[in-house]
Amino acid sequence: MPRGLWTTTVGSFPKPPHLEKARNQFARGEISADDLKKLERDATIEVIRSQEEIGLDILVDGELYRGDMTTYFAELMDGFEISNPVRSYGNRYYRKPVATGRVRRTKPWTVEWWKFAQSQTKKPIKGMLTGPYTMMDWSFNEHYSSREALAMDLAEAIREEAMELAEAGAQFIQVDEPAVSVRPEELKLAVRALGRAVEGVKAKTITHICYGDFDLIYPALLDLPVDMIDLEMANSRYDLLDRFKQHRFTKEIGYGVLDVHSHRIETKEEIKQGILRGLEHLKPEQMYIDPDCGLKTRTVEEAREKLAVMVAAVREVREERGITA
Amino acid sequence: MKIETTLSGSFPKLPLEPGAPNVRVIRNRMDQGKATEKDLADATRETTRRIVALQESAGVDIPVGGQVAWDDAQTYLARGVPGFTIAGLIRYLDTNTYYRQPEITGPVSWTRPVTVEDFKTAQSMAHRPLKAVLPGPYSLYRFSRDRHYKDPKEALHAVGEAVSREAKALEDQGATWIHFEEPWLGRARAEDAPLVKAALEPLFRGRKAKTVLHVPFRSPRPVFGAIRDLGWNVLGLDFVEAPESWDLLPEVPAGRTVGLGLVDARNTKLEDPARIAEGVRKARSMRSDLSWQLCPTASLEYLPVDRAAMKVARLTEAARLASSNGG
Repeated sequence: MPRGLWTTTVGSFPKPPHLEKARNQFARGEISADDLKKLERDATIEVIRSQEEIGLDILVDGELYRGDMTTYFAELMDGFEISNPVRSYGNRYYRKPVATGRVRRTKPWTVEWWKFAQSQTKKPIKGMLTGPYTMMDWSFNEHYSSREALAMDLAEAIREEAMELAEAGAQFIQVDEPAVSVRPEELKLAVRALGRAVEGVKAKTITHICYGDFDLIYPALLDLPVDMIDLEMANSRYDLLDRFKQHRFTKEIGYGVLDVHSHRIETKEEIKQGILRGLEHLKPEQMYIDPDCGLKTRTVEEAREKLAVMVAAVREVREERGITA
Repeated sequence: MKIETTLSGSFPKLPLEPGAPNVRVIRNRMDQGKATEKDLADATRETTRRIVALQESAGVDIPVGGQVAWDDAQTYLARGVPGFTIAGLIRYLDTNTYYRQPEITGPVSWTRPVTVEDFKTAQSMAHRPLKAVLPGPYSLYRFSRDRHYKDPKEALHAVGEAVSREAKALEDQGATWIHFEEPWLGRARAEDAPLVKAALEPLFRGRKAKTVLHVPFRSPRPVFGAIRDLGWNVLGLDFVEAPESWDLLPEVPAGRTVGLGLVDARNTKLEDPARIAEGVRKARSMRSDLSWQLCPTASLEYLPVDRAAMKVARLTEAARLASSNGG
C-alpha cells in the first residue's frame, strides 16, 4: 500500500486577540517581557493542541512569538537595524531590516522555542527559518557592496541556527525562500546561499516559495538544494500542474490547497479535486498537503476550520486511493 | 537651466508626527467596526494634504497626490474599468510588495472616470499643478491574467485605449501633467515591441497635457525602438538599479526631456545631493540638446515615511545644486 499525503502547515498561525493585545501592551511598556513570554508559551501550547485535534501529521510551533518573518531574525542579529513601517499591500505594513554593518548570529533565534514546542507533543515539530536570499532581498542594504555578500553572510548565520535545531532533534527544518520566485536572474545566488545554509544539516530540509511568476523559474527551481519544495497551488488554481506536465517535479512537494488570503472556507470537495489533480502528476509519497502559505492573516477560527476541512479531504483521498500515512 | 523635480506615483501614507490623521489606524478601526467610511475619507483627504504640502515645502516642482486611496499600483484603476475583475494576491515583481491580480474576463472598455475625483481633490490642496499618475497599459496588461482575449495585441490595444480615455478625462478636468508608470517595459523582450507599441500608441495621440513615460527598475533597452518615437514629453529612467540606462541617452530624440531617476526609491541609504548633481552634469555632458527632470527611481512608498521625506529633501537640494552649477 503506498504511503503519502502527509498533512502539515507552512509555519505561522494567527495570533489570538489577547496575544495581539499583549504584544501591543509590551511595545508600549505596559507589561514585562516575562509576562508576554508566558502568554506566548500558553498560546503555543494551544496551537499545538489544536493541530493535534485537527489531526495534522507534522506540526509547527505557530510562530506566535514572531512578528514579521525577516524582522524577527534581524532583531536578534548583529548588523541590522529595523526601519519604520513600510507598506506591503493595502493596509498591511511591516518593519524592514536595514543592514548597517556586518550581519552575524550571536545567539540562537528559535531553538528554545522549538524545544518547548516539541516537548508538548509526540508528533514532529518543524524548525522554521527564513532563508538567506529572502532575508537579503527583503532588507534595505546600507552596508554591503553587493547583494551576494549580504546573502552569503546571512547563509552562514542561518546555517548555525539550522545545525543547532538539528542537533536538538528537529527532523524537519524549513528554510523559507519566498523571494526566489521573482528574480530568475539571481536563482543561482539563491541556490548557493540556501545550499550553504543547509550544508551538513542532518534533517529533512524544506523550502517554501509563494506568490511569484513560476514561468520564470521552473524547472530551474528544482536546483534548490533541499529535500522538499513547498508551493502555493490553490491561489494559482493549480496552474503549476501544467508545468509539471512538461517537466516532472522531482523533489518532495509541500502542496498548498488552501488560499490563506481568503476568508472563505474551502469545501472538502474542491480540496479533494486539487489533490486528485496533483496525483495525476505526482506520487503520493512525494506529497505533503498544506495551506498555500502561513495562516497568520486568518482568524483563529478560520485557520482551524480551513485545516479541518483539509485533513478531512486528505483522509477521504487516502481511503479512496488506498494510501496510508 | 533649472532642473525640475518630480515624484513617481505613490508616497508613504503614514504620518511623520504621532497623532496626525492616519489611514492605517482608521482602516484597522473600520475592521473592528469602530470607524466609518467618512472617517476614512477624512483621513485620506488629510493624508493627501500632508503629502502635497511635504513636496511643496521641499520645493518639488511637479508634485503628485500620493495615491493615498490605492491598495497597489494598478487595481484602483482596473476595478473601475469594465472587463477587469480582481483576483488573488500576488507579489509585485521583486519589490516584496503585493497586488491583487486583475483578470481580464471580458472586453476591456472604459465607461467612466476612475481617478478624476481624487485628482481634483488633491489638486485643490496644491499651489502648483499636480501630476496625475496612472498605470501604463503595457504593465497593466502584463500584471493581469488574460482570460478573455485570444490575441494579446488586441487585448493590449483595448487596455491602451482604456488608459488613454482615463488620461483624457483627467486632462478634461485640468490635469496638465500625466505620468504613465511602466515597470514591465524593463522586462519586455525585443519580440514584444509590436505589443508595446499597440499598448502605448493611444496614450500620446492628441494629448494636451504633458506626458511622462516612466520605466522603473530596469532598462527598456530591448523595446526602446518601439517607445523612442512615441509622443511622450518626458521619458523617466532608473539609473540606480539599471545603470545601463545611461546607454539609452544617445538615442533619445533631440528636444525631449529625460527624467533622471538618480535617487534610489528602494534603499534607505541616503544619497549625497552633490553626487546626484554630478549625475545630472554627466547627463548634460552627454546630450546638450535634451532637457532634464530629476526624480526618484520609482515610487517612494517602498521606503518608510521618514526616509522618503529625507530623500525628497535631497532630491530638491540636488536639483538646486545642478541648476546653479550646470548653467
